[in-house]
Amino acid sequence: MSCSHPTSHIPHSTIASLPDWLDPEPWLNRTFSSADIERALSAESPDEKTLAALLSPAAEEFLEPMAARAQALTRRHFGRTIQLYTPLYLSSYCLGGCAYCGFASDRDTERHKLSFEQVEIELAALKKMGLEEVLLLTGERTPQADFDYVLKCVELAANHFHKVTIEVFPMSEHEYGRLAEAGCTGVTLYQETYHPDVYPEMHRWGPKSDLLDRLAAPGRALAGGLRFAGLGTLLGLSDPLFDLLALYRHVRHLQKTQWQAGLSVSFPRIQNETGGFLAPHPVSEKQLAQIIFAVRICLPDVPLVLSTRESAAFRDGMAGLGINKMSVASKTTVGGYGNDGSDEGQFDVNDRRDVETFCTLLRQKKLDPVFKNWDAAYR
Amino acid sequence: MNLDTKMLTLGDVEFKSRLILGTGKFSDTETMIRAIEASGTELVTVALRRFNREKPDDDLCAPLARLKQIKLMPNTSGAMNAKEAVRAAQLGRELSGSPFVKVEIHPNPHHLMPDAIETYAAAKELAADGFIVLPYIPADPVLAKKLEDAGCAAVMPLGAAIGSGGGLSTAEMIKLIIRDSNIPVIVDAGLRAPSEAARAMEMGCDAVLVNSAVAAAADPAGMANAFALGVQTGRAARQAGLMPKSDVAVASSPLTSFLGK
Repeated sequence: MSCSHPTSHIPHSTIASLPDWLDPEPWLNRTFSSADIERALSAESPDEKTLAALLSPAAEEFLEPMAARAQALTRRHFGRTIQLYTPLYLSSYCLGGCAYCGFASDRDTERHKLSFEQVEIELAALKKMGLEEVLLLTGERTPQADFDYVLKCVELAANHFHKVTIEVFPMSEHEYGRLAEAGCTGVTLYQETYHPDVYPEMHRWGPKSDLLDRLAAPGRALAGGLRFAGLGTLLGLSDPLFDLLALYRHVRHLQKTQWQAGLSVSFPRIQNETGGFLAPHPVSEKQLAQIIFAVRICLPDVPLVLSTRESAAFRDGMAGLGINKMSVASKTTVGGYGNDGSDEGQFDVNDRRDVETFCTLLRQKKLDPVFKNWDAAYR
Repeated sequence: MNLDTKMLTLGDVEFKSRLILGTGKFSDTETMIRAIEASGTELVTVALRRFNREKPDDDLCAPLARLKQIKLMPNTSGAMNAKEAVRAAQLGRELSGSPFVKVEIHPNPHHLMPDAIETYAAAKELAADGFIVLPYIPADPVLAKKLEDAGCAAVMPLGAAIGSGGGLSTAEMIKLIIRDSNIPVIVDAGLRAPSEAARAMEMGCDAVLVNSAVAAAADPAGMANAFALGVQTGRAARQAGLMPKSDVAVASSPLTSFLGK
């Protein structure tokens, strides 16, 4: 996989700017033998070295046993079930300069924001689809979609859904606390890339250009009272070995510092054709599968999430093979469910199947689609 | 031949079966129901978070409620503290009509270890409120007695972590709990094989609760039946009285012959 030339372009002086608890440097530039991979596959206490081994080129020959181990661990911890959720895009206004994003402020995409009446229409449409977990999304903080707007949308969603989570701009601990009181249960906040050289190239302006502030945001959300934090790295932006080791260390750090936190990991992947942006480190499906197996083996009890960015065939194959939570019937446009959302989305949805079609497939694979796995009683 | 005529009593309800089943992690409702039927269980636990009255094909409660031979025991899995568990228990009772509650509070959603302090607070409050309370607890003999005093109908110490298949890793602590308990002791969580259920019953446990071991088996109904047999075998062995274990051989020249007759 592209991890085979992992760090040749990385000047070590910049790696040192990451905090010690995150820095993946000690596990880079190692070579592994087949015997190392076999040891990693049966590691009783997986660690950074295990992950580095399973992401290495030597592990490419072990995809099948890695898949078997990933499936066994997924089944043990999460059963034969797949939890379902769906994103709801509230606003496409953004001040951010993310080079890879269809909603970046220099893209000439037409901007939209749902009125509260439109939010209700969208929520009703999602509810009709049977969903019980909704992820509310915006871009960076803007006058059009500010904290009060997000707060009100959380309140509206919490009236209908047992589990409401957000993927919006990072905020203060106090603001996260107010969202929790309003019925928000979790936050999704991808670091995108942990690489200190690549990060500023990809996040050219706006609040998101501050790597360390973004890094601290999931911790603030959990300290503020949210129960779940979803982490991730946007695969394709930087060397995957660097990013995945840092991501693993980020998860482990939060497990130690926020011991009640429910953490999950997602695997968003930029594909070359998306919005004209060329991924500097493209990750193939086979590499993505290897990554997911490796992370499952190293984080056996952490929910792993796969979105509709990926193709139907890949999602079907990965369901239960490491992955235990998936989005379904997603629209990445503002107003895509109940309103007339005909503008461009944040990214291309590959798996466009509706809820029933996807659930039928899961059931054929002897996996139980779970819509409700939380209760408003736990707010 | 089953010599076991003594019933398992929880609160004021008697059960012939000493196997309790969890209902999570199954691939579909039919598989779950076939496993329940094959186990002969009369009591199953179901998480409040899996109640979904608005979407029948996602709801675990209604299909279980239709099974006449079993009673439902809602559980509070997902609760992070006593307050949330009490709220969940009350909602579970309202929705299921069952007086049973499995108090399950594991604030760390990764290892799912029970919180002794919050579990005690919730169990005490719910017992006072008339629930038949079965708390899922660490294998702690002191906590077990305090929960008995608080009015619990049973205690359910863990054999190992939920879903781990770690077996009876807490056996020595569970023996201490059994030795001093006046209420049923039910091993909950960690069991992987029917032989471990048999061993728990041989040790003197009153019942066994399993979920992952059945749901994650290649043939859940077959494994449910195997657990039922394991529980019966262990119970029968306990009642028949196991031969005392001794690593001291009886000397052919007695050490105490000098004491005379």
